Amino acid sequence: MIDAPVAVKLAGIWKRFPGVIANSDINLDVRRGSVHAIVGENGAGKSTLMKILYGMQKPDEGTIAINGNEVIFHSPSDAIDAGIGMVHQHFMLADNLTVLENIILGSEPTKRGVINQQTALTRLTQLAQQYGLDVPFNSFVSELGVGARQRIEILKVLYRGASILILDEPTAVLVPHEVDELFSALSDLKAEGITILFISHKLDEVLAIADEISVIRAGSTVATVDPRTQKVSADDLAEMMVGSELPTPETRGSTVTDEVIIDVRNLSVLTAAGKPLVDDVSFKIHAGEILGIAGVEGNGQAEIVDALMGIIKSSGVLIYNGGDISKWSTRKRREQGFGFIPEDRMRQGLLLEAPLWENKMLGHQTLKPNSNGFLLTPADAKNDTARIIDEYDVRTPSIDVFASALSGGNQQKLIVGREMSSDPKFLLAAHPTRGVDVGAQSAIWDHLRKARESGLAVLLISADLDELIGLSDTIKVLLRGKFVADANPVTVTPQELGTAMTGVKKSDGIEAAS
Amino acid sequence: MNTKSPSIRIFAFFISAMTLLSISRIFADTNDLTSRGTMAAAFGLAVPIGLAGLGGLWSERAGIVNIGLEGMMILGTFGAGWAGWQWGPWAGVLGAVTFGMLGALLFAIVTVSFGVDQIIAGTAINILGLGLAQFLAKLAFSNAPGGGQSQSPPVKGLLPSVTIDFIADPLNTLQQKGWFVISDLAGMFSGLFYHLSYLTILTVILFVLTGWTLWRTSFGLRLRSAGESPSAAETLGVNVIRYKYIAVIISGSLAGLAGAYLAIVGTNVYRGGQTAGRGYIGLATMIFGNWRPMGTGIGATVFGYIDTLQLRDNANIRGLVLFGALVLIALAFLGLRSGVRATSLAFLIIGSALVGGFLASTNMAPEVAQVAPYVTTLLVLATASQRLRPPATAGMAYRKGESH
Repeated sequence: MIDAPVAVKLAGIWKRFPGVIANSDINLDVRRGSVHAIVGENGAGKSTLMKILYGMQKPDEGTIAINGNEVIFHSPSDAIDAGIGMVHQHFMLADNLTVLENIILGSEPTKRGVINQQTALTRLTQLAQQYGLDVPFNSFVSELGVGARQRIEILKVLYRGASILILDEPTAVLVPHEVDELFSALSDLKAEGITILFISHKLDEVLAIADEISVIRAGSTVATVDPRTQKVSADDLAEMMVGSELPTPETRGSTVTDEVIIDVRNLSVLTAAGKPLVDDVSFKIHAGEILGIAGVEGNGQAEIVDALMGIIKSSGVLIYNGGDISKWSTRKRREQGFGFIPEDRMRQGLLLEAPLWENKMLGHQTLKPNSNGFLLTPADAKNDTARIIDEYDVRTPSIDVFASALSGGNQQKLIVGREMSSDPKFLLAAHPTRGVDVGAQSAIWDHLRKARESGLAVLLISADLDELIGLSDTIKVLLRGKFVADANPVTVTPQELGTAMTGVKKSDGIEAAS
Repeated sequence: MNTKSPSIRIFAFFISAMTLLSISRIFADTNDLTSRGTMAAAFGLAVPIGLAGLGGLWSERAGIVNIGLEGMMILGTFGAGWAGWQWGPWAGVLGAVTFGMLGALLFAIVTVSFGVDQIIAGTAINILGLGLAQFLAKLAFSNAPGGGQSQSPPVKGLLPSVTIDFIADPLNTLQQKGWFVISDLAGMFSGLFYHLSYLTILTVILFVLTGWTLWRTSFGLRLRSAGESPSAAETLGVNVIRYKYIAVIISGSLAGLAGAYLAIVGTNVYRGGQTAGRGYIGLATMIFGNWRPMGTGIGATVFGYIDTLQLRDNANIRGLVLFGALVLIALAFLGLRSGVRATSLAFLIIGSALVGGFLASTNMAPEVAQVAPYVTTLLVLATASQRLRPPATAGMAYRKGESH
């Protein structure tokens, strides 16, 4: 493998943006038919580098050579012509177009301008079979789940005859068995001589799939290792990435008290058509307890969270601190101590085009120090924002920059800081460390642990099973809107939990739901 | 509603609507409700609305909300009046299309290249189109024989129209028999082949061509992708900006053509205020039609039909009110069956009230009667809107290279 010719050679790549150096002197050799992983913190410059390689941005300095020929890309189409394909972290798919239309867009097989559906379908069916990437070609993308969308993205790239595949954080949105499927597809691709660039910050996965690993720190390549010949562990990689050890989500000792903070009885959420999304779910969370909900996305987690926040209509009874609050508005729930870390910070957590201190007031705009009950008090809010920035290590030039200028991890730290500052009694945390690098991740875990010790009740939803197992005191498995199993976080393994999430029970650490 | 194919469903809806219309005709005792004359006039009024709607469809499919259709249509009426007066009707059509396109080009530069908010830019185009047309009309027509400050001299000659006698006449005879449903269908189809302007034929062709181009060709797929997910399209090498320009310019030329129909076929002159908000109604029919040509065409016909009846005698309006009431009641029963209770009850109450009004009066106050059809349309739209599938990025500014 090491002797294979170099498919992609990046030499001395520099890229500067106003005020930031995204890439400084990047050098990279990727060999044909190998999986080459690129790891680094959020904001280390991985994405910029890949955008340069894919023709979306031009490097200020440096050269790109594909299969030995130096190239200059003016647009993604140049990169596509050179055999490079990219699967973006945020899928680049049009929901209202069919799978087939999404794949052939831009390179449609035509006869005098008319799309030849049959040719496209034959070709795609063959590709899908060859690499085991099964998708329904005539469905709308809006009807499909995350795993299928990723397969569409890969097919899109293969359909264009790509021999070099860039995968940007491909496993961030997948559950364990989907990751396995992806990895087996990648092995097939590799066997066909396709070169894969795999960007990730999940180090275990990188070690499992990569032939070579390059580490990027602060915009530069700091090391390239070969995990097949050199002994390298996840801890070693983490140290190269951030200069510190890999954090773990472990909590020590139980802080669960017998004071029930929130008691959910027979919660149900229906679709407009009357189909249950959440089906008669009941649970209690005590002060100092973290209740984790495991489940493949789309099984009702988001609806439970929205129902508890009072954002969507639901039936059932909600007891909070001993009183029935089912009729409370979202505002009242917020004011009375509900903290909320939403699953999609771009959509629910932040106003991207607003300064940090305004974002800090969001959700707590009726409370001190943001308001005196009648008017907003920006001066106090700004001071408090500065405190959060300091305490929660939000890296930003000032509190007046727009939230969109922060990296994902720093945005998330701001949200966590905001929610913790209002002294919550009950916290809904949905994917609190999604898309966040190891440094920010361990900081967020620390804050959750600290809050738990001081008596906070937490509902934790996460697709990261290590996180779920490590932080939770109790784990319930949600499938099609119902709790189907309980898991003991002390004994259960991520593999067992992943299996239980798909509906298969009966293994150590997994019991039928109580 | 269930597993039936879309074409069967549309056919079922069509036949049900005709049945209700037929019942209304019999109870309101007005044969004119579905006569050839009414239907032909309805199709005539539907053409400019439909063309405007089709213009909106092109533009929105590429992600640009074109609220400036009205202004482009006004420019079209001026172009038609001016060029038509000088060189005849076909030159008028060409003039209208050109003027509509110029308006659209300006709109495209502002919205696509500079990312100005599309609603604001569209409103500006409407104001500009109106003012510019008035100004140019003053310059061009004030001293012209037969013209005036806000009116052009007549267009030189008429656009030809055709009547296919051997289809239109027997159907017309059938319509006059007054048979349940059959006569109504006959009247409708007779109207389709009666005094048919070449522009109407062209409009039908343009509708079919639009559907075919947008959903069957690679050009169409790329254009739609610019409205659904421009960033995805860009990563696949589609020149999003170019497709948006093309779409907006086609949109403007269709709006111009709508103006041409009003000025050349409708009245034979350019006149200030001729468009009377049809650009906006066109936009509404496009939404009613779920951003698809077939639906837009049906929507335009419905609006054209309502318009026609208001111009005719009062008995027709009574018939129309009853028709609206029956539609609401029918929808209420459909809704109750699929469990949408609140809306259905509201429909039932309003529908019954309209039936009551119909029974209580032999001569309806024209104001009430004129509003009723629009109320019905609004209510129908309010329920239909939950199933609509608009282009995902319609109305959003797109800047190249901003994709993540």
